[in-house]
Amino acid sequence: MAGTGLSGAASLAGVGTTPFSRDSGISTTALACRAVLTALDDAGLGIGDVDGIATHRVGDSSPPWVVGPALGITDPAWHLDQFGGGGVSHAVIGQAALAVAAGIADVVVCYRAINARSEFRMGGQGRAPAGAFDLQYQAPYGLLAPVQHYAVPARAHMQAYGTTHEHLGAIAVRQRANAAANPRALKRDPITLDDYLASPWVSEPFRLLDCCLETDGACALVVTSAERARDLRRPPVDIAAAAWAGGHSTYSPPAPGGLGDDLTTSSAARLAPRLYAMAGLGPDDVDLAELYDCFTWTVVVQLEDYGFCRKGEGGPFAASEALGIGGELPVNTHGGFLSEGYVHGINHVAEAVGQLRGDAGPRQVDGAEVALSTGQPGYVLAGTSALLLTAGR
Amino acid sequence: MNRTQSLRQDVRDQDGRRRDGRGAAAPRPRPGADRDSAYWWEAVGEGRFLVQYCADCRTPRFPAREVCAVCLSLEWEWREGTGTGTVDGWTVTRRTFHPAFEAPYTVLRVALDDGPALYCWGRLVGADPGDLRRGQPVEAVFTDTGPAPGAGAPTGGGAFTKVVDWRPRE
Ligand SMILES: [Zn+2]
Repeated sequence: MAGTGLSGAASLAGVGTTPFSRDSGISTTALACRAVLTALDDAGLGIGDVDGIATHRVGDSSPPWVVGPALGITDPAWHLDQFGGGGVSHAVIGQAALAVAAGIADVVVCYRAINARSEFRMGGQGRAPAGAFDLQYQAPYGLLAPVQHYAVPARAHMQAYGTTHEHLGAIAVRQRANAAANPRALKRDPITLDDYLASPWVSEPFRLLDCCLETDGACALVVTSAERARDLRRPPVDIAAAAWAGGHSTYSPPAPGGLGDDLTTSSAARLAPRLYAMAGLGPDDVDLAELYDCFTWTVVVQLEDYGFCRKGEGGPFAASEALGIGGELPVNTHGGFLSEGYVHGINHVAEAVGQLRGDAGPRQVDGAEVALSTGQPGYVLAGTSALLLTAGR
Repeated sequence: MNRTQSLRQDVRDQDGRRRDGRGAAAPRPRPGADRDSAYWWEAVGEGRFLVQYCADCRTPRFPAREVCAVCLSLEWEWREGTGTGTVDGWTVTRRTFHPAFEAPYTVLRVALDDGPALYCWGRLVGADPGDLRRGQPVEAVFTDTGPAPGAGAPTGGGAFTKVVDWRPRE
């Protein structure tokens, strides 16, 4: 049975981001260091306070055993170099919260630093496929890029439930409008549904404007105990719940009769009950949601699987006014990965913290008390993770 | 040219092939079988579609594994599979991601007829992707993969002399 011991034990006390760009001109080590220092300054802490350091990466970025020593953190009491993509982006922060709750570390910095446009393009052409294991069943057919892996469940969902290109387009259009109010966003010029429908195919049903940006940049978050966070510079944001769920992977086979039979339901459907139970909250309590948007369609399936609408209704719901800044459930208030930039999951957490502090400026959600922030919903490199965050008192 | 640009790999790899999808075709990626799957791929190379079954509880599984996820038995047997299934999902890729695969092309996820939760991938052959629908019956065909990548190529690996593709079944 899931315990609730983690709920409220740890908080996010600092957040730091570098500028997002198409070419940072600096190393991922330098990006990571800048984001970590900014986050510590935000919290009112120094390097000497840090005793934990963590990241996730897929062989594309500077690890904790480089970034730590580069900042003088030579003997962290806890560290984590998590292999994985967006599915583990929120797990890293959840695991830092566990380390803090267990008394192993006091102050953990979690970062993600990527030059995903100028150095290591996930959607790039000509990349050698990763190693064997389950990619052996996709790579020989030209199924190589994340956009292709997501296109298959998206197509299945469209066929099963009548989700349309216009539903997907509405997500891209709205998130671009949100980004216009975000100085950090890379894409701020408004787009229309016609612009969306005219954008070139990449891998059907996805057009270019269904795809997240490839971004250079870094984000860092400071995780500490809820008690300590209350003595620091900024209003604390509490980790009301962190949850994990197993794979629904396009790479890994489902166990017979088990997970992953139905492409139209994501791993979030299994994670969500754990997450809400840990926090003692439900979907109706969520004031805003930062939903992992590597592609537009992942918003659709997560709206369903996190319980904001019924199965199959995610398309019409995503296209409705409900998801705007002033709506009943503002989603991807910063523009998301589609328009702000793609720092592999962690910039969703940074935005949620800003919203819960009331720091979000013209895109601020009134009365934001509870935010959901989610990782990739378990389709690629199996597994997913998510956080429920609450404004500290 | 700034520092970052100077570190980028050239558009051509060491064999002179373009890495950006334009120009001459390149050998298909052959990521390599693992020690569980090698027998299956060797059979594919002979034009046979095998399915692994637990020797104790008789549950079929795909891809190959040493252990049965249902009863944890380590005993298994190979049987001739049906080589048929139904379309579960697909994508028509309209951008070239690898020089071996010139866009457009269609990749299917196929639910095998041999049992529940058995999925195989492959390209659509002999049909227009515009006519695809979920649940559509398909059958396996075996496609020669052509010459192996040159020594030292990033996609070198196992034999993979044939792969499984799919065509509509009447
Ligand atoms: Zn068995």
